Amino acid sequence: MINLVQNEMMKLIGKRRFLIISVIIIVLLSMFTYAQARHAETTRERLGSVDWRTELQQQIVDWQNRLSSAGQWREHLQIQIQQSQYYLDHGVNPSEPGAPTFIRGFVENSAELFLPLLVMIIAVDLVSSERSMGTIKLLLTRPVSRFCILLSKYIALVLSVSLVLFIFGLLSYVISAMMFGSQGWSAPVLTGFSVQGGELDISGVRLVSQWQYILQQFGLAWFISMVVGTLSFMLSILMRSSAAGMGTMLACLIAGAILSSMVSSWDSAKYLFMVNLGLMDYVSGTAPPIEGMTLGFSLAVLAAWMIGALAVSFAVFMRKDIY
Amino acid sequence: MQSKKVRFITAFAAVACLLWLFGLGWTVNDYLFGTNGASAFPVSDEEPAPASDEFKIIALGDSLTRGIGDLEGKGYAGYVSDRLKQAGWNISFVNLGIKGLTSVQLAEQMKEMEIGRQIGQADAVLMTIGGNDLFLGGQTLSNLTDEGIAKLEDEYLNHLEVILGAIQASNPDAAVYVLGLYDPFGELEEGAVTSRVVRAWNYKTMETIAEYANAVFVPTYDLFQQNVSEYLFTDQFHPNEKGYQRMAERVAALIIGTGGQS
Repeated sequence: MINLVQNEMMKLIGKRRFLIISVIIIVLLSMFTYAQARHAETTRERLGSVDWRTELQQQIVDWQNRLSSAGQWREHLQIQIQQSQYYLDHGVNPSEPGAPTFIRGFVENSAELFLPLLVMIIAVDLVSSERSMGTIKLLLTRPVSRFCILLSKYIALVLSVSLVLFIFGLLSYVISAMMFGSQGWSAPVLTGFSVQGGELDISGVRLVSQWQYILQQFGLAWFISMVVGTLSFMLSILMRSSAAGMGTMLACLIAGAILSSMVSSWDSAKYLFMVNLGLMDYVSGTAPPIEGMTLGFSLAVLAAWMIGALAVSFAVFMRKDIY
Repeated sequence: MQSKKVRFITAFAAVACLLWLFGLGWTVNDYLFGTNGASAFPVSDEEPAPASDEFKIIALGDSLTRGIGDLEGKGYAGYVSDRLKQAGWNISFVNLGIKGLTSVQLAEQMKEMEIGRQIGQADAVLMTIGGNDLFLGGQTLSNLTDEGIAKLEDEYLNHLEVILGAIQASNPDAAVYVLGLYDPFGELEEGAVTSRVVRAWNYKTMETIAEYANAVFVPTYDLFQQNVSEYLFTDQFHPNEKGYQRMAERVAALIIGTGGQS
């Protein structure tokens, strides 16, 4: 079994997938860090040299001014204002300058779309490429069961996802530390905000260290990536063409991003996996797309989709005629 | 050789996998089975205001302070800061104006700790308030009786006292510039009525402000009395760039006149 997994890993490394992913991350990260640095600079120019309290207060006022024209984002904005006000009242800086704060924001924003896309690069042709290249016959003529072969592929996928996330974390630390400095791992972060009926509930708010918060974020990001990876894995078995699998998966992810902003009145949409990918929102205390969704609910829905996809994958792969 | 590298990467990925699993488990444990740890907040370490040679301006109030109608989005407050910068002053400028703010809401805003702290550091406070109390967000005054207006006025003056009192409590030294109302409807049919109301309103505001030593009433009524359309934005209610520039000219001159000693 271990040999089979290693064989799969060797193929992935041979295909230079990790290299491609690293390059993508580096390019995008450089752009984001630069944008962030510029943003900080313009704020300084606008307000003069000010402390973070003044800056946050200004941010709150800017949001308050947007309230009346915010339309459907009104509630969202209101919660954001209350949350920032809470930070302000308790003397906690929500964006302590430094690499860890950058990572926190970056993971939060990329967990839903960017990371899953990177994972898809690996997962989407894990099986279908073997079929289109014809190497699957060689693989299946080995004296091991089909179950073991598919399992080894899946384990390789799990390992790759973990590795991609690690590369992601490492690179974002290295690059942003060059720009913002590496301090701030133990900075306090407020968490446990929850949204009840459009109101911010602060009863469960507590203070955690930033490193702990980031580790928890990565845990969630890993789970999201695993769900997307598993679904892509299933598609690569069901579809002969990698491009078709990639297209389907992309359509789902983008549909999820669009749906999340407009499904609030379509209640049963909460059982769709793509609407549930915003796990980070529960931790940061943003309103969920559909009222009544919780972290536990979303995790359960995603887990159900994942198990379903795995069951289909194995069932199909073991019965399928290979020619 | 090749297989050694693969083995290393695989093992490494396995370790990373465990780490993320741990993170996920921790999250689930923390957020689902609320092990609410002690939420000890750090004592809000009130850093003393960094003593700097900057002249700090805080702008409070409604849409005029925010700069609605100004295509550059600066408003009179922004232009005041610009003019002082041109005059060679070292300015730090914070605009806390919120469009649609009424005097009740501003009085409410004054209670926030952070606002108080910022005013405490300020050298000058600029303020426009009352426009939304009187014009009710642009509705005409025509359906209001004299008693109705008197009631609005009383409430407004009470709030104004609360606001000025709060500013004085936070910072007894800062100069407060309260800009008066102008009459955007002066050239309309109802002009005669609204002008009278606005003049009375300004007069009472001025009388109230007179009780505060550091407060200065800055009239704007005359600026928008002639050729109104030249200085109003297309909504015929807010000033445009030219209108704001005229207001700023006045305030900037007053501030420069103080010589900047805080």
